[in-house]
Amino acid sequence: MKNNQLIDLSENLIKFAKSKGAHEVQISINTNNDFEVQIMNQEIEKLNQSNPTELNLKIIIDKKVATASSSDMQQNTLENLIINTIERAKLSSQDDFAGLPEKEEITFNTEQLEIFDPKILKIKPEEKIQFAKKIEKIGLDNPKIKVSTGSYYATSHGQNYLINSNGFQGFYEYTVCYAGGGFQSGEDDNLVEDYWSESHVKLSEMKSPEYIANKAIERVLRMIGAKKVKSQVVPVVFDPLMSASLLGFLVQCITGSSIYMKRSFLVDKLNTKIASEIVNIIDNPLLPAKIGSRPFDAEGVASKKINIIENGILKNYLLDTYSARKLKMKSTGHASGPGNLYLQQGHATPEEIISSVKNGLYLTKTIGQGTMPTTGDISKGAYGIWIENGKLTYPVAEITFSGNLADMLNNITMIGNDLEFRSSINAPTIQIDNISISGT
Amino acid sequence: MEKTRREFLKTTGLGISLIATSRLWSNNLFAALTLEKGNNMNEEYFGFTKEDLKKLLAFGLSKGADLSELYFEHTIANSVTMSEDIIKSSSQDIALGVGTRVIHGNQTGYAFTNELTFESIKNAMLTAASIAKSKPKIIKANLEQLTTKSKIYDLSTPFAHANLQDKIELIKTAYNTALKYDSRIQKVSVSLLDNLQQITIANSDGLIISDTRPQMRIGISVTAEDKGKRGTSFASEGGRFGMDFKNAKTPQQVAETAASEALILLEAENPPTGEQIVVLSKDQSGVMIHEAVGHPLEADANWKKQSIMWDKMNQMVSKPFVTIYDDATIPYYRGSLAIDDEGTITENVLLIENGKLVGFMNDRLSAKIMNTKPNGHGRRESYKHIPIPRMNNTILAQGEHDPEEIIKSVKKGFYAVSYQGGQVSNTGKFTFSCNLGYLIEDGKLTKPLKNATLIGTNVQILNEISMIGNDIGFFLGTCGKEGQSVPVTCGTPTLKIDKMTVGGAI
Repeated sequence: MKNNQLIDLSENLIKFAKSKGAHEVQISINTNNDFEVQIMNQEIEKLNQSNPTELNLKIIIDKKVATASSSDMQQNTLENLIINTIERAKLSSQDDFAGLPEKEEITFNTEQLEIFDPKILKIKPEEKIQFAKKIEKIGLDNPKIKVSTGSYYATSHGQNYLINSNGFQGFYEYTVCYAGGGFQSGEDDNLVEDYWSESHVKLSEMKSPEYIANKAIERVLRMIGAKKVKSQVVPVVFDPLMSASLLGFLVQCITGSSIYMKRSFLVDKLNTKIASEIVNIIDNPLLPAKIGSRPFDAEGVASKKINIIENGILKNYLLDTYSARKLKMKSTGHASGPGNLYLQQGHATPEEIISSVKNGLYLTKTIGQGTMPTTGDISKGAYGIWIENGKLTYPVAEITFSGNLADMLNNITMIGNDLEFRSSINAPTIQIDNISISGT
Repeated sequence: MEKTRREFLKTTGLGISLIATSRLWSNNLFAALTLEKGNNMNEEYFGFTKEDLKKLLAFGLSKGADLSELYFEHTIANSVTMSEDIIKSSSQDIALGVGTRVIHGNQTGYAFTNELTFESIKNAMLTAASIAKSKPKIIKANLEQLTTKSKIYDLSTPFAHANLQDKIELIKTAYNTALKYDSRIQKVSVSLLDNLQQITIANSDGLIISDTRPQMRIGISVTAEDKGKRGTSFASEGGRFGMDFKNAKTPQQVAETAASEALILLEAENPPTGEQIVVLSKDQSGVMIHEAVGHPLEADANWKKQSIMWDKMNQMVSKPFVTIYDDATIPYYRGSLAIDDEGTITENVLLIENGKLVGFMNDRLSAKIMNTKPNGHGRRESYKHIPIPRMNNTILAQGEHDPEEIIKSVKKGFYAVSYQGGQVSNTGKFTFSCNLGYLIEDGKLTKPLKNATLIGTNVQILNEISMIGNDIGFFLGTCGKEGQSVPVTCGTPTLKIDKMTVGGAI
C-alpha cells in the first residue's frame, strides 16, 4: 500500500470505530519489504522475499480496553474486526489507568534521525548473495574451520504509520541491512562454534565480508579445546556482547509492568543507589542512524533522551502510558521497549581491564534463560577464556556463572572504552567482581 | 471463481464479529469452515479451484525447479489476561496469507503474500522460482484431495468459538483459586491464549490436503511475598482441545500448582554447586530430552554435519535401557499434528531404540538430501516461514523403577522440579534453568533450592542416565529455532543422572 492509501484507510477506520461506539481508538499500520538470503556450502540455501502488511488496533470504551491485529487488509474484514473489538472491550473490566496518551506535539524532525537510507533499497539481489557467499568462503578456506553453520545477508525497508483519536498522526520510514556468518571447529565430539553479525540502518556503516568472517573465525578458533574449571568465586570480565546481555536483564527489571506487578528487585528503588558510582546508563532513541532510533514509541509518545542510572543512582524506570499512570509518573516513551540504551563508556582499554585480573573469567558467550527479575537472581551456562596473571590463557566451557544483579551492579569495578552501538541495548567491556563459577 | 473467493473471506469476516456474541452463530461458522476439510463439495480452497492452484504451481516450476508448493493459512488467535483483580484486556489476531515455496536441488526460494488474489500469488511464486535457472518442468500429477486422521484434535468445543464471557469465568476461577490459596500470595496474573488455524497445502507432486487445528493454553503466574522475600512461579496447561478440557488439568489445579510453588520459593536457598548426582523429576524434565537429544536429532543439523549425531546412525549413543521417540499423533497434545506443514501424514518416529540411534526427524528437503522418506516433522510458524525439521512430542520411554526408589538411592544430590526452559548449541552443549529444586540428603528430599542452572553435553548425559522411573510427565513448551516458534511438548519419567554440573551462587 502507498502512504496516502495507508492514511486514508486508517482515518476511515478511526471514523468507523467512533461511529460504532468506541471512545478512544489507536491504529498502527506497518508495511515491510524484506529480503533475506542464507548461504550454505557456497550455495543459496534459502531465499525469502516478501512484502507483509499488518494493522494493529486498540479500542477503549468507558476505560475498558481491547486490542486486535490483522494481516488481512480487506475493508470488510477490518470493519468486522473493529465491531468485534468493541464488543470485547465492553467485556473487559473498567481500568481507570487505561487510555491513550495525552496529546503532545512531536517537534522532532524525523529526517534528522537518518534511519532511512535509500541506498539500501538499491542493492541488487545478486550483490547481497555474493556478500553472504564471501563471508562463508573466507571461513571455509581457513584450514582450521570444519563446518559452516551458514551465512546471510538481509535487508528490510519498513514504514510505520500511527494514528489515534486524540489527534496524533505520525509516520516514519526506516531501512536496515543485516549480515553475518558462523562456523564450527574442534576435534571429534568436542566441537566449538560461534558467529558474528552486523546490523546497520546505513549502508555505509555495514562492515566488509572479510571483517565479519574474520571476527567469527577468531571467536570460534579461540574456543578450541575448551574445558571445565573448578567451582570458585572470581572476577569476571564481560566482553561487550555479554555486558549488553546483562543490561538486557536490567531492562526487564526496570520495565514499568515489572514494577507495578512487583516482579522486580528494583521496586521502590528510584533515586537510591543501586550500582557502583562509575555506572551511568542512558537511553537515547534520538541518536541519528542507530538501530533503535525512533521519533515516537508504539503509542505515539515522543522519544526523548533519559538517564536511567546516574552515578550509580536509579533515576528512571522505562514506562509506557499505562504503567506511568499506575506509578503516578510520566511515560518515558517506552511502549516499544528500549531505543538506544547504553552503558556510558569509561577510559580503560579492554586489554587494561583483562590485565588487572589475577585469576578470573573473560566471558564471551552464555546459554540458557536463568534470569528472575523478582529476585535479581541470574544463573547461566557460560563460555569464555580463563585469565591468569592478567593474560588470556585457555578456553573454558560447560561451566555456569551465577549471582544476583543487585550485587553485580554494585560490583562493577571497571568500564571499558570500547562502546559500540550494535543493537537497542549496548555496552562496553566491564569487570564485575565476586561472581560464582560452577564447574567440576 | 471471483465470487467464491469473496464468499470465503466474508465468512471469515463474519466469523470475527460472531465469536464474542453468539455461540449458535459461531457453530454455523464452524460448519462453514470445516467444509474445507473432507467433504469439499465444490473443491474450493481459500476461494481457488484446483485448476487455479495447478496454474499457480506451474509458475513455480517455470524455471526448472524440482518442487513448487502453496501453503494457505487462516488463523484466528485470541488472548485474554487478568491481573490485579481485573480483566485488563483481550486481543484477537487474524493471520491470512499464502506462502509460496520452490525447491531446486538443496535450494529453497520463498515468498508470501497477504493478498489472496491470483495475480499476487503468481508474483510471489515467480519470486520464489527465481532461485532456479533451467528449463521449465511440468506438474507430475493431478491434485488429489487427501484427508487427515481425525482423532488428533478435539474440535467439538473449540476455544476460538467460545463465548468471551465463558472464557472470562474460567480465568476468574483460576485467578481466585491462586489468590486465595494463601495470604502471602501478592500478585496473580492469568492469561488464556487460544487459536484456530486452518491450512491448505498443495504441491507440484500432486498433493492437496487441508487441516483445521485448535490450540489453547492457560498460564498462571504467581508472586508471593513474606518478610521482604519474594518468589515468582509459573504453571500452565494446554493442548489441542476445547472448553471441556478432556483429561487435562483444570484451571484450579494449575492455579494451585503455581501458588504452592511460589510459597515454597520464599524458603528456597541457592543450591550446592559443582558436579553431583541429579534426579530429574517427571513433571517438567522433558525439557532436558528436548534440548540434549531432540535438537541434535533434527535432520537439518545432520545433513549439514553441524550436529555431533550426524555420523552416528545405527551406533550406540546411550545406555541400552534408553529409548527415545517423537510421537506427533498423541490425541489432544500441544505438540500433536495430523499432518505436518508440508502435508506429510505424521507418525510416531523412533529416534533412539535401546540405546542405538535409529532415526532423525526430517522434512521433505532433508529426507531427499539424506535419501530417506519424510516422516512428518516439517513445521513452520506461519505462512511467512519456510518449513524446517522440528519436534512435536519428544518422549523418553518409561523404565521400571519406582520414583521413590530412585530418590532413596541417592545419598546427596539435586532434585530438579520446575524450569524456565533450556537451550542447546549445535555442538551439543545444553543448559536448563531450574526455577525450583530440592536437596536430596540420605534418600530424602529436604531443603527447597532455587536459581540453579544444569549444564552438560548431550552424548555424555545420555551415558550418565542410570535409572529410569515407571512414571511420566510432560513439559509444555514453545520451541524457538531460526526465528520460528512452534508449540511442542516433551515427556520424561523420573531420571537419575550420575554426574552433572549444577551451577548456582556459591
